[in-house]
Amino acid sequence: MSNEVVVRFDNVTKMYKLYKSSRARFKGLFSKKVPYKENKAVNGMSFEVRKGESVALFGRNGAGKSTMLKMITGVTFPTEGEITVKGKVCALLELGAGFDAESTGRENIRFKCSLMGMNDEEIDAVEDDIVQFADIGDYMDQPLRSYSSGMKARLGFAINANAQPDILIVDEALSVGDRNFQKKCKEKIAEIMADDNVTLLFVTHSLTTARDFCKRGIVLEKGKILFDGTIDEAIKFYETK
Amino acid sequence: MIESIKEIVRDHIQYKDQIKMLAKSDLIKTYRGAALGWSWAIIKPLITLFVFWFAFSVGLRSGKPVAGYSFFLWLVAGFLPWFFMQELITGGAACIRKYSPLVTKMKFPISIIPTYFNISHLYTHLALLVITIVLFAVSGHMPDIYLLQIPFYMLLMVAFFIVWALLAGMLSAISKDFQNLVNALSSAIFWMSGIIYNVEDIENTWIRVMLKFNPVTVISSGYRRAFIYKKWFWQDKVSLVCFSITFLIFLILALTVYKKLRKEIPDVL
Repeated sequence: MSNEVVVRFDNVTKMYKLYKSSRARFKGLFSKKVPYKENKAVNGMSFEVRKGESVALFGRNGAGKSTMLKMITGVTFPTEGEITVKGKVCALLELGAGFDAESTGRENIRFKCSLMGMNDEEIDAVEDDIVQFADIGDYMDQPLRSYSSGMKARLGFAINANAQPDILIVDEALSVGDRNFQKKCKEKIAEIMADDNVTLLFVTHSLTTARDFCKRGIVLEKGKILFDGTIDEAIKFYETK
Repeated sequence: MIESIKEIVRDHIQYKDQIKMLAKSDLIKTYRGAALGWSWAIIKPLITLFVFWFAFSVGLRSGKPVAGYSFFLWLVAGFLPWFFMQELITGGAACIRKYSPLVTKMKFPISIIPTYFNISHLYTHLALLVITIVLFAVSGHMPDIYLLQIPFYMLLMVAFFIVWALLAGMLSAISKDFQNLVNALSSAIFWMSGIIYNVEDIENTWIRVMLKFNPVTVISSGYRRAFIYKKWFWQDKVSLVCFSITFLIFLILALTVYKKLRKEIPDVL
């Protein structure tokens, strides 16, 4: 493990404005008087993750895990504070999402890889690996609307896992597919993690899986970090709480 | 505001390959799945043209030839850019919503969406332009030097509608009410623009100038100047000045809204 920090949260707060209706939200753009409720999904969070670390995130629903990961991915932005992220982030979040239903699986591979910033040569290089890993046979050349949700998830995992990430984010992704595919996914993550330069952020409710992959654990509650330490201590803290 | 411009330019340079790819995929998506496929790009405009030609020539009996061109050709020249603008007025307002997975599921700069959306429609427009030129040639009006100003008006059109799609797309993303408002105003914009009448024929100077603040008028008349009236764009300075003022106002609005909403849109879509 090197000392280079790849993810840094500096007093980060993410506040969602909850308006009564979308009309109130529209009015709120022009006037500060429109009332709204505040929901701080992430509240004054600070931490650092170094290159090569594997961190498990624990917390109940609504603890702020997803918001935090979304901010690292760059999908959503903090209300206050600063976030620094170095390297290419691949997120195994909502695997079936972001596909075009009318295009074939193969077209979607090119489409998604390109959106992740890969050029044609790089896509050519990984396409076969993705097809092989997804292992959905002739469906690869069928439009995505004919896929089952399991097939979509397999394709989604295959693309993200083969896109050579610097930072890999896994959020409950392993709960999709059958047992065989789950095993395959775990092996793939282990393979990616064998490279010391890849950083892993892992969200799961399965404590054994977390222990398999991670050395560090962070426990979240109501948008704040309650505990940050080794994986065994974190699991103990989470279980006794 | 300078910061917003810098950010938008930087995103466009970084995503230039993706813009091409997304424009292509948007174009394919529009026409795939229908048995007649690509021919819809021509059938739809043809029906519109026929209906207007019928209403004015047969119904109202007012469709007289203009400057040596049949009334139908006169309609075609003005409607050619309108087909693009019509799609962009309502479609532009809906474009960010249409591609919301790009915004909510991955890291993707919002300002790219209006750009490739415009380029995708520009392909259809170019195809229709070629057909129009052929149609004029078949009718005995060979292409001449005045057609060289078509790219100029096309540039104005695309520039304005990228700005429009960014502004309207963001506002519609925040509130569907805005999108409905645009849909409701779409036909008003059509009848208040010089598409089915020549703005220069209006006697009241004030109304004439006011109409030129509407970019649809300037662009539609511009295409007619090239195809029918055979005049150069610099011969009508009022139109250019009016267009520039409107363009600047929309640009400033779009940048202001961008700065305010750019980080909020992923949370509300």
